[in-house]
Amino acid sequence: MKFLRVNMGSREVTVEEVPQAYMGLGGRGLTSTVVNAEVPPTCDPLGPENKLIVAPGVLSGTSLVNTSRVSIGAKSPLTGTIKESNAGGTVAAALGHMGITAVIFEGQAPAGELFIFRFDENGDGSLVPASAYKGMGTYALAEKMLETYGKKTSVLCIGPAGEQGLTAASIQTTDVDGRPCRAAGRGGLGAVMGAKGLKAIVVDQRGKSTDAIANPEAFKEAAKAFAKAVKEHPFTGQMLPALGTAGMVAPVNSMGAFPTLNATKGVMEGWEKISGEALAQLIQERGGNPSHMGCAQCIVHCSNEFVDKEGQYVTSSLEYETIWSMGGMTGIDDFDTIAKLDHLCDDIGVDTMDTGVAVAGAMDAGYKNFGDGQAAIEMVEEIGKGTPFGKVLGNGAAAIGKHFNHNRVPVVKGQAIAAYDPRAMQGNAVTYATSPMGADHTAGNVVGEYMAGALDPLKPDGQVEASRNTQVAMASVDCTGLCLLASFALTTPEGAGAFLNAMNAKFGAQMGPEDIPAMGIRVLKEELDFNRKAGFTSADDRLPRFFYEEPLAPHNKVVLISDEEMDQALTF
Amino acid sequence: MRVNVKLFGTLGQRFQGYRQEDGLNVEIPDGARVKDLLVHLELSGFKGCVVAVAGRIVKPAGLLENGMTVHILQAGAGG
Repeated sequence: MKFLRVNMGSREVTVEEVPQAYMGLGGRGLTSTVVNAEVPPTCDPLGPENKLIVAPGVLSGTSLVNTSRVSIGAKSPLTGTIKESNAGGTVAAALGHMGITAVIFEGQAPAGELFIFRFDENGDGSLVPASAYKGMGTYALAEKMLETYGKKTSVLCIGPAGEQGLTAASIQTTDVDGRPCRAAGRGGLGAVMGAKGLKAIVVDQRGKSTDAIANPEAFKEAAKAFAKAVKEHPFTGQMLPALGTAGMVAPVNSMGAFPTLNATKGVMEGWEKISGEALAQLIQERGGNPSHMGCAQCIVHCSNEFVDKEGQYVTSSLEYETIWSMGGMTGIDDFDTIAKLDHLCDDIGVDTMDTGVAVAGAMDAGYKNFGDGQAAIEMVEEIGKGTPFGKVLGNGAAAIGKHFNHNRVPVVKGQAIAAYDPRAMQGNAVTYATSPMGADHTAGNVVGEYMAGALDPLKPDGQVEASRNTQVAMASVDCTGLCLLASFALTTPEGAGAFLNAMNAKFGAQMGPEDIPAMGIRVLKEELDFNRKAGFTSADDRLPRFFYEEPLAPHNKVVLISDEEMDQALTF
Repeated sequence: MRVNVKLFGTLGQRFQGYRQEDGLNVEIPDGARVKDLLVHLELSGFKGCVVAVAGRIVKPAGLLENGMTVHILQAGAGG
């Protein structure tokens, strides 16, 4: 277990044992605990007092399938709250194989200086000057890194948006093919990385110092049983491998909850053109790969490789949230344009969700017409070029709203909502409003409850409890490195049992089922505590007014959860 | 009565020649419920099947009406 502190000002790298207060933590549990303990809550997120924490999950680097999520935490420049955003790819497993528990980047490099932090195959880390890569897009950078350090290298990096300090800037990670197409997209953490003068973290994948497993035989058994549960679950074993997350386009439109044309409608006219079914068919016809392995140790293969008419690679992976933000929200209904926008965002290093919602906001404000794909491409290209408009757009949807003095901006705490309209899925209204991270579907998505018929999405009853339960569950999952999508196997007794056995075998512990949510509650408490100290109150846990006032077709509902009910969501 | 059924997820692959744009035109007895339609299509044993009509998830006991468009989906939990 290695715990590294990298002072970007003095360039000093310190390796220490994991401090007692952080023992046993990983992923979001660790990033949020460190941020709450060490980052002054009212600091400038882009100043030297903020810290950027990179932590694989506690199970990353083990043989348990789908545990390749890396958590990145800091105070967010987008929301002003605590932030954890996690990404797939290969870097979590690579760090896990070196026995790295966390790397904490502190201070700031002198103005104008840029560095790469590199872990060699022995797990030794050092800062390498990187001014030659200033302004470089993530695709060219990743290619350079693999050329320089070898193909068995994982890269976590920023593009021009992060260097410019734009508050929708992402941190990109490389997939199993070495492409920087996975993103810790939310909350502008790329800007924090850029402000520190850190262009990339490069990790040799050949580490052989994985932390010991207390009971290897029991772990092996549990891992086998968990993999079986993932394969046998209809969502993770059938739908995701066939259609990827794009398979959600049909259900969410079928429920009237697909925020369309800047959240003015709940069903997109012609949504079948951008459905998961249509995407899989198009990729197949063009010779791309509709069922691609994007992340280390993934057995779900929800990723895809989108190719153009000539069969040339455009992007990976075209996901539900991007299809929505760049398609549904903007009225763009062709995959070639959406894929191009996805690639641009990955290369420039901006969150596809906040950027798509920002483009839609600009269209809604009358700057361009809905459905104008070329205009959307040109707008996003401006971010990379660093034009004045590009800087506004790269600061996300809230900034676009201010720029155009337009009040229909679907954000909470400055962060754009996701592809589930809160008026047609009332539980997601609670999650967007109350999550310590700002509007974030990965913090507690209630859609599964609606599809299972357990809850009526249009009525307020039971929504607060459902949101609370999913927020706790997701906070727990995010500590482990387990992919959110594979985590749906935990909804079966076999999957949940196997996962608990794996955790116990890893730590030599005797945890019961109740200890898993307890882990999530602990994390949420840390996050809420930080936000309180940063000045956030329950008045910030509200959606924009138009969600309470403008009924959403076809159900013609508004958000029905009262402020008092919202305030009960995360009272632990 | 007759309903038009649109299949999503991998469900279309179970019906030879299924075309998404056309769906399936299905004749079922008057008064049929969602569960009857699933039995008719041999989907009742398919884990994770969800039916939506007019923007709402409909439970197995839900009544169908002539001329309805019925979406049969595979349950998902997020993305």
